[in-house]
This record gives sequence, structure tokens and C-alpha cells, in this order.
Amino acid sequence: MERAVTRKVFRTISHPGDSRRLAKEVVDYLAGHVADGDILHDLDIILTEACANVCRHAYGGEPGPLEVRLAVTPGAWIELEIVDWGQGFGSGVRFENPGPDAEGGRGMYIMRMLASDCRVQRRDGENVVFIHKDIGAAQWKT
Amino acid sequence: MENLTIRREGGALLLKYAGEITLEMTGDLKRRLDRELGEGDVAVVVIDLSAVPFMDSSGIGLLVSVNTRMKSAGKAFYLYQLSPAVEKTLGLVQLIGFFTVLPDQAALAGVCG
Repeated sequence: MERAVTRKVFRTISHPGDSRRLAKEVVDYLAGHVADGDILHDLDIILTEACANVCRHAYGGEPGPLEVRLAVTPGAWIELEIVDWGQGFGSGVRFENPGPDAEGGRGMYIMRMLASDCRVQRRDGENVVFIHKDIGAAQWKT
Repeated sequence: MENLTIRREGGALLLKYAGEITLEMTGDLKRRLDRELGEGDVAVVVIDLSAVPFMDSSGIGLLVSVNTRMKSAGKAFYLYQLSPAVEKTLGLVQLIGFFTVLPDQAALAGVCG
């Protein structure tokens, strides 16, 4: 059976506080669909890490446009695209867990751990972190 | 930072932050901690994470940097009372065993000699 997909777009400018608030706004919206608090926390971490990356790296440390595109298929999955129009990821994306003494470089690893699928893409001037998370039928609100 | 409580017991510096530890906060927290470490002799730093409902990888980076600073000076660094959210974040990056976590008040009193 083909299930309906709900789509929604959230936007802000990537100051640290506003990036975190955008992540919360998306999670608050998702709390209308997903009942499981642990899964909402997973999504909160994923979004916060992705938005923090935009904040720190996309525009050379300056604020710039940040967008989250959300697609929800209740009972099945959530997809997130975290989008910026900055300098892009280049070849420097690392999904591995760095050594314990490293002070940074854990964001992508954390996102990959919490998602069913996690990819970075560049298309038509957009830098996109694509996240797919399968969510079991019992974890949704009815 | 009204959410930050700092107290000294003997040579120990105890910090408790109540709130989210994210990119928005880590810079301020690190500057505040650096200032405290510059005042008087601090042999032990303990960070109480019981009132942290959310922490991201910049928070992990902050804990790692304090750990490195203390250990390289031959001093001690402990975490105290991890909230469930902090435990989950540290667990994701396999750092729970990397830090020394004080399990209870008796253990805390033991390092604040």
C-alpha cells in the first residue's frame, strides 16, 4: 500500500542559537507524529549536529541561510535534508569515530550511528546532508 | 551564566551546569573554566552533568579538552552523575569508559580531599 508523505520546510540563519532553535522546532513538529522519546532524542541529536556543522563550516564561520526539509511517512520513516548554500564539504567528510583525545570530528559519526542512512550530497549549488530513519510502527502516535 | 554553579572544596573545583550543552554554550563554558583554573591551585576538576538534558558533540569536545588539560598537568578530571541524555551521547562515541565517572556522593567526597 502506498502511504502518504507529509512534507515541511523549516528555515533560519545559521547563528549558533538559531541553528539549535531550528533543530528544536523540527523535533517539536515531529513530536506530533512520533511517540517514542528516545527516537525523538535521536532526531534532535542528528539535526543539532547537522545544523551546528552549517553554523561552523558552511559560510567560513559566518551566518548564512540554513534549511531543513522534512518528509514524514507515518508508521514507516522520516527523511531529513539539512541544506546550506556555502562552500560545501569537499573531500573532508569523515564518518569514522576519531580517537578519544580528539576534540572534534564526531558529528558525522554520531549522525551515521543514529540514522538508517546518512549521505552528503552537492547538487545545484546546494550542500545537502540527507538522513533516512526507519521507525517501527509501534513508535508512532496513532 | 546563572545556570553555572562553581564551588571549591580543598584543591577540587566542582562545576555544575544546568541546561543544554551545545555549540551555543561551549565557548562561554570553556572561557569560564579557563578563568577558574587560572585562579589558585586546582588539583581536581569535577563536572556534574546531572542537570544536562541535551549535549552535542561540541560538549563532548569540551569534556575531552578539559580532560587533556588536567591529565597533561598531572591532575585529575572526573565526571559526576551523568544524565540519561549525556550518557547516551558519550555512549554513542564510546567515551563512557574514557572518562572517570564518579558514581555517588561517597566517591565525590573521596576525590575532594
